[in-house]
Amino acid sequence: MPIVLVGLSHKTAPVEIREQLAFSGSAINTALELIVDRQTINESVVVSTCNRVEIIAVTPREKEAIAAVSYLYQFLQEFHKTDHHLIRQHCYDYSDLAAVKHIFRVTSSLDSMVIGEPQITGQVKEAFQLAQEARSVGHHLTRLMNRAFAVAKRVRNETGIGSSAVSISFVAVELARKVFESLQGSTVMLVGAGEMAELAAKHLLNYGASRLLIANRTFENAQSLAGELGGEPVAFDDFEKRLPEADILICSTGATSYLILQDQIRRALSSRRNRPMLLIDISVPRNIDPAIADIDNAFVFDIDDLQSIAEANRSEREREAHRAESIIQLEAERFLLSHAEGDIHSVIGAFRQQAAELALAELERSRKKLGPLNSEQEEALQTMINAIVNKFTQPVIKQLRESDDGHSPYLEAWRDVYHRVIRKKE
Amino acid sequence: MTFLLVIALLLYLASAFYAIILFATKSDSQSNRLKTLITVGFVTHTAALAIDWWKLGHFPIVNPKEVSSFIAWAIMAYYLGISFRYQARALPTFLLPLVFIFTLGSLLIPAPENERPNLLEGAITANTVTQIIFPAHVTLVILSYAAFILTFVSGVMYLIQERDLKAKNFGGVFQRLPALNTCDEIGYRSLTIGFVLLTLGVATGIVWNNQRDGRYWHNDPKEVMALVTWLVYLFIIHYRLTAGWRGRRVALLSIVGFVVVLLTWLGARTLGGYHVFG
Repeated sequence: MPIVLVGLSHKTAPVEIREQLAFSGSAINTALELIVDRQTINESVVVSTCNRVEIIAVTPREKEAIAAVSYLYQFLQEFHKTDHHLIRQHCYDYSDLAAVKHIFRVTSSLDSMVIGEPQITGQVKEAFQLAQEARSVGHHLTRLMNRAFAVAKRVRNETGIGSSAVSISFVAVELARKVFESLQGSTVMLVGAGEMAELAAKHLLNYGASRLLIANRTFENAQSLAGELGGEPVAFDDFEKRLPEADILICSTGATSYLILQDQIRRALSSRRNRPMLLIDISVPRNIDPAIADIDNAFVFDIDDLQSIAEANRSEREREAHRAESIIQLEAERFLLSHAEGDIHSVIGAFRQQAAELALAELERSRKKLGPLNSEQEEALQTMINAIVNKFTQPVIKQLRESDDGHSPYLEAWRDVYHRVIRKKE
Repeated sequence: MTFLLVIALLLYLASAFYAIILFATKSDSQSNRLKTLITVGFVTHTAALAIDWWKLGHFPIVNPKEVSSFIAWAIMAYYLGISFRYQARALPTFLLPLVFIFTLGSLLIPAPENERPNLLEGAITANTVTQIIFPAHVTLVILSYAAFILTFVSGVMYLIQERDLKAKNFGGVFQRLPALNTCDEIGYRSLTIGFVLLTLGVATGIVWNNQRDGRYWHNDPKEVMALVTWLVYLFIIHYRLTAGWRGRRVALLSIVGFVVVLLTWLGARTLGGYHVFG
């Protein structure tokens, strides 16, 4: 039951090509129907996002991965009515271990543009659900995909690839959580309302910040933004009065001098009874006096700090990705080993063996009553047992071989029964 | 119960290694596996203490060997309590080596030849009031020391985290420590608990003194040092409540407080006096 994969991603194809070869939601259903012809391909999942297209498939014929791969290429070409060379130039194909590894890497977000971004796992899950609804997945891909999700979870838990923020607005959230642990109940104050400040405020609210104050020189702008984000507009002249309420202050105005000075923060802190304040300055030139950093319980970061954290986190993720790769190698090998277990040949083997063992055991039980046997008699008994076992198992085996398309409930049932027998042997 | 204590020691050693590995690999140090390992160690330790108590007929806290084991137990008890409420990342990594050392210490310190020091003989066998008062005095004081150890550790964690934030150094241990607020809260909470216990410990000590020879206070070095410790922590609590002192300043002061605790606990012995044991 070879597993094959044909696909393209941001690494192999520019966006114009990816657009051409992508599958929209409804196209996926049609595509799955066409791919799964029950001869070359038994099961298939199609993943299509803005960064990649992956066709994962299982072919029923042993040692025919190459044929299955060229079938998939053919399909891509015909479905999208594109040029053969274009596809060969931008696509990759994998089979068996390499395919399993690739699927695990994609699902675990190691192949993503931003390593560790969490969306891809969800997108693969959706693709799998679509395939389930279209009834294009059976035993093999169900096991493979579920394993892929488990591996993605393991990678996320055991390595740091998804743990740190790589965009500036998320870095603000990360810093806030380094000071406050949870943002529940905290107050965010925006001074000036740039796009980046707005985005950071949104993230902070998403992570539990409960109040948002917005001060802007043009009060109308503060009002409209407050209406949009669910905050409270503050008159610009009043912002100093409201300063003690702010746990997190984000400053992004076009002012050319410092707006927030040491004394203001000293006063604010003392009326806050020294509860810490996080001050984030995303304006250039800076609006928050950097000397404020010398005050206890005040923490000041400017745009360069945020950028360098984001940068450091990005390289950190890449380092962590190496650890993730070894997890994936291990899991892929383990999967293929256990996958062979569900193979029709081992099911048949286990069935035959169990029948033979039963017959031999019964023979041993009757030996006493039979008395001593000469070699000819012994041979005749063995031949008889073999014949019974063969004749008994043969119709079942024939039926199994005929129904081996990955979907037969008959095969599934036998597989379930003999999985246990195979396991026991190990 | 030496056998159980050895098992507990091995479990603490395993948890300490595991906690350090989790810390080094930046994995989740709130891991349930680690917590289970710690809990099993703690339960074993509790059983060892309970059996000793039952066998000896008095609470096993009269010699340095026993005190060392009890303080390790108390630190673990606080940690488990804290982990219910706080995201106490990295805390086990700092605490478990300490706990291991105390437990190992308890196993290595030779048992005193005389099961009960002469001075305590009277205390333990005398009337029921002293029978309760003396163990209560020692237990309360040791429990307060364990709480102050937690205050100290969270103070250190706070200072490391704060220094990294201010220096904008985001590599290293930065990502593994709890948030500043959490360090501060754990520190202050254990400080107040320690303070209350120390107050009660000193009070029971005074009552016991009076029971023994009718004098409340002997100006023994340990008594004086305990008073100093008490005043240091009172000072911190006072300024926290009135002036809202917190963060770095409180972290630094609680380190000072801990140095005084160490002087009281271990140092005062070398100065003589009747506090002959741990």
